[in-house]
Amino acid sequence: MRRGAALRQARPRTRALRAPGTALLAALTLAACALQGPLPPQPQGVSGASRPGNTQPPPPAAGQAPAAPAERPAAPPPRQFHLSPATSSLVAQAQRQAAEGNFAQAEATLERALRIEPDNPLVWSELGRVHLAEGDAAQADAMGRKALSLATGDPAAQSAAWRLIADSLRARGRNEEAAEAERRGASLAPR
Amino acid sequence: MARFRRLLLAALGLLVLGAALEALYLDRLVVRQFEGRRWTLPAQVYAAPLELYAGLALPLPELEKELQRLHYRRADQPDRPGTYRLQGEHIDVALRPARFADELRPAQLLTISGGAGGIAGLRDSGGHEVPVLRLEPLLIGSIFPIHGEDRIVVTPAEVPPLLPQALKAVEDRKFDTHHGVDPLAMLRAAWVNLRAGQIEQGGSTLTQQLVRSYFLSSRQTLARKLREAVMAMALDAHFTKSDLMNAYINEIFLGQDGNRAIHGFGLASQFYFGKPLAELDLAEVSLLVAIVRGPSFYDPRRHPERALARRNLVLRELTEQGVIARADATEAARRPLGVSARPAGAYYPAYLDFVRRTLRRDYREQDLTEAGLRVYTSLEPRAQEQAERALEHELARLDKLRKNPGAPLEGAVVVTAPQSGEVIAIVGGRDVGYDGFDRALDAHRAMGSLVKPFIYLTALESGRYTAATVVQDAPVDVKLVNGRHWKPENFTRQVYGPVPVVRALAESLNLATVGVGLDLGLAKVTQTLLRFGLPQPPAQVPAMLLGAIDVTPLEVAQLFNGLANGGFRNPLRAVRAVVSADDKPLKAFPLQVTPIASPEAMYELNRMLVLVMDHGTGRAAHALLPAQLVVAGKSGTSSDFRDSWFAGFSGTHLAVVWVGYDDDEPTGFTGSAGALPIWARIMSGLGTASWSAPMPESLAEVHIEYPTGLRVVPGCSQDIVAVAVPGDATLPVRPGCGFPDTPTPTNAAAANTLIERAQQWLRGVSH
Repeated sequence: MRRGAALRQARPRTRALRAPGTALLAALTLAACALQGPLPPQPQGVSGASRPGNTQPPPPAAGQAPAAPAERPAAPPPRQFHLSPATSSLVAQAQRQAAEGNFAQAEATLERALRIEPDNPLVWSELGRVHLAEGDAAQADAMGRKALSLATGDPAAQSAAWRLIADSLRARGRNEEAAEAERRGASLAPR
Repeated sequence: MARFRRLLLAALGLLVLGAALEALYLDRLVVRQFEGRRWTLPAQVYAAPLELYAGLALPLPELEKELQRLHYRRADQPDRPGTYRLQGEHIDVALRPARFADELRPAQLLTISGGAGGIAGLRDSGGHEVPVLRLEPLLIGSIFPIHGEDRIVVTPAEVPPLLPQALKAVEDRKFDTHHGVDPLAMLRAAWVNLRAGQIEQGGSTLTQQLVRSYFLSSRQTLARKLREAVMAMALDAHFTKSDLMNAYINEIFLGQDGNRAIHGFGLASQFYFGKPLAELDLAEVSLLVAIVRGPSFYDPRRHPERALARRNLVLRELTEQGVIARADATEAARRPLGVSARPAGAYYPAYLDFVRRTLRRDYREQDLTEAGLRVYTSLEPRAQEQAERALEHELARLDKLRKNPGAPLEGAVVVTAPQSGEVIAIVGGRDVGYDGFDRALDAHRAMGSLVKPFIYLTALESGRYTAATVVQDAPVDVKLVNGRHWKPENFTRQVYGPVPVVRALAESLNLATVGVGLDLGLAKVTQTLLRFGLPQPPAQVPAMLLGAIDVTPLEVAQLFNGLANGGFRNPLRAVRAVVSADDKPLKAFPLQVTPIASPEAMYELNRMLVLVMDHGTGRAAHALLPAQLVVAGKSGTSSDFRDSWFAGFSGTHLAVVWVGYDDDEPTGFTGSAGALPIWARIMSGLGTASWSAPMPESLAEVHIEYPTGLRVVPGCSQDIVAVAVPGDATLPVRPGCGFPDTPTPTNAAAANTLIERAQQWLRGVSH
C-alpha cells in the first residue's frame, strides 16, 4: 500500500489498447490504491500530463499528409518529476547527512525516500550522487542509468541523470565518454 | 587424647580452610557471572517500519489495524505511550519511543488526519506539519542459541515500579533487608514441606532464585542449597539491591515456546501480551508475577483457570501487604487474562530462515545468539499475512479439485519490492507457522516455461527479433549427442505455424520458442540467465529451452526481479541493517543496482509480458485483480505437471508462486490453474500500483494483428494488440488495412541511433 501512493494510470478502454504507458487521462486519475479509490491530494510524481508511449496515434500534425501516420509523437509530451513533501524532506535530510560525511546514513535516508517513490528518477540521481561522493563511481553510474531509464519525457530529470553519469565516468578516468554524456545532459536542460 | 584433639583441630582447620576456599571460589564464580556478560542476548529481528506521510493510500481503519498490530490500545485520552484515540477523521497517537537502525526517536504525540482513501496529513503536538514519520518496527522474532534461551533485556527505567514491589511482596518480603538468604523463610518453608511431605514452599530469596537460574540447575540437594546460599550471600555483599532486582527481572524463566525458553520480564511481556513491559497494567503485571512460581503449571495459554486463580491470589497478597488499594485489586481481578492468541515472535519462520542465512555469512553463531544485536529487515507484515492467507486458501481449494487426494499439495511464495530488491514476504509452505522444510529457499524444482521471457529477451537483444517478428511454430527434432531424438510438443499437442513473437510468448508455445532458442544458441540464452542471477549455468541441452533447469522460488524471484526492475539487477535482500546492543551501526546492506539488459529490449519484453496477462496464459488473473491494474507475468508448468509456477509483477511488487508435491509427483495443474489464482489473490491484496515504465524514446508503439503479426491501424481488425518495437523496424502491413503501400512509418532520425545507443549502453555496462 505504501508504495501505491505514486501515480497510477487509468487502464485504456479498449482491449487492444490495454497497455501501460497510456496516459493523458492517466496521471490525473491517480488511483493511488485501486482498492481504496482515489486519494484527493496529489502528492507527487509526474505533474501535468502524460507518460510517453501513448497508445493512441496522435492526430496528424497540421500540414502533414494524413496518409503517413506517425506511430509516436514526434516529441514526447513533456512531463516534470518533482518530489513529494515526504520525499523532499528525506532528500534534504540525506543531503545534510552527506555533507557531514555520513554517507551510509544518507543512503539509508534516500532508500526511505525510494520506498515511497520508487519510480522517481530524481531520488535515484540523489542516491547516485551520494555514492559518487563516497567514491563508488561504478554504483553512481549504475544509479544514473536507472534514473535515466525512468526519466523519459522529463528533460530536466534526464539531464540530471546524464550529468551524474558524466561525473561517474570522469571519476574513473573515462573522459571521452564523460564528455559525451555531459553533452547529452547539456543538450536536454535549458541552462 | 591430646594427639587426637590436635588431629581433630587440624581436620577442623582443614575443613574450615576448605570451606573458606570453596566460599572464595563460589564468590569469584558468582561475581564473575554477574559482572561479566550477564545475559546472552539473542539478536532481535524487526519488520520494516510503516512510513506515514501525506498521500499514503492507507485508510484510517487500516492504519488502526497497523497500530493494533503493534499493540497500541484505544483510549479516551492518549496520554500514555502505546495508546491512541480515534476521532472522526483523525487519529491521535501517543507514539512509543522507537529505535531504528539510523535514529532513536523519543516518545511523541502525533495527529494523523485521514482523507478519502488515505492519509491527508500528519501534525505534531505543537500543530506543526510532519512530512514523514515511521511507526516503530514490529518485533518478529529473535535468533536464540541451541539451548534456547531467549530474552529482551530491560533497563530499570523500562520497568513499571509495581513489578519489583509485587515480586518482593509475593516472593521475598525481606528482600530489602536480608543478606542474600532469609533463614526464617527457609525454616518456615522446611516446616511446611516436612508436614506436607513434599515441596510446597520455596523459601528462596530472589537472590537465591537468581543464583539458581545462573547455574542452570533446579536439583534440590542439601549441598546445592548450601552452595546456593553462600553464592547468594556473596552476591548480596558485592552488589546493590537495585542491581540484583534488575538482574532478576531480566534473568528469570517465564515460559516455554517450543524449543525457545522465555527469559526475563521484558520478553515475557512481549510473549504474553505483545507490548513493552512499561505498558503493563496491574492485572498484567500480577499475571507475570504469578507465572514466576511455575511457568508451565501456570501457563496462561494452556491452563487459563489456574493462571487466573493464581493471578488473583497475587492481587490479594498485594492488597494485604498494602502495595495496592483494595478497589484497584477488585477491579483488576475482574479482568480477563488478556493474553494474546499467538505468542510474539516466531510468526514467520521461512522469512527468519532467510534472515538467519544472510547473517551467517557475516556473523558467527555466537554473535547472533549472545551479543544483543538488533536486525532490521524488510518484512512487511501485511504482505506476509496476505501471502500466507492466499496460499492456505487456494491450496485448500485446489486439494478439493484433485481426483486422487493423497498427500496435501504444497506451495511457496516470495514477494519483493523490485526497485529496491527487498524481499517483503516469504512463505515456505502451507503450514505457515511450522519451522521446517522451507520450500521457498530449498525446494529445487524445474522452472518450466518461466525460462521463456529470458529466451525472448535474448532474441530482442540480438537485434534480429522484435515483438512483431513472425516465427515458425513447427515440429522440432533435435538429434542429441547420445543418439536419441528430442521431439518436444506444444501443450495442446497442436502446431500453430507462423506466429508473431508476442503470441508465442503469450500462449507459451513450446515449438516456436525452441526454434528461437536454437537459432540464438543455448550459450546466449545461458548468458542472459546468468546475468539475471541464475547461480549456476544449466546443463547445455535443448530441453533447457523448455525450462529443464532446477531453481528455488527465491532464485526465480531473483531472476524476475531483474525484469520487474527494468533490466537492473539488485541482489535480493531481507536485512537492511544490523545494529549493536549499544546502538552502533555494524553492518548495512545497501541498495545496489547493476544494469544487465538494454532498456529498449527490456521494455519491449515487459510489454509482451503485459499481454501474457491480457491475452495469454495469465488472463484468468484479471477476474481477481482490481480492474484498472496493469501487471506483467509468466506462467510455468514443468513436464507432467510436476510444478505449477507463476511469476509476475506490477509497478511496485513482484510475486513468485510455486505449487507442487514434495515428492515430485504430478499435480495435474498448469501454472495458470495452480499458481496463478494464488498469485492474483496476493497481488489484489497488496494495494499495488500499475506497471507503468516509460517507453524509451527510440521505440515506437505499433498495432499488429495478434494471430498474424501484420501491422494494422486500430479498429481495422478484430484481434489487435499494441506492442513496442524499435523505431526503425519495418513491419509488413496487412493489405487494405489503413496503410499506404509503403510499409515505412519509421522515424528516419532514430534509425541508426538505436544501435548506437545500445552499443553505448553496453559499453557502459561492461565496465
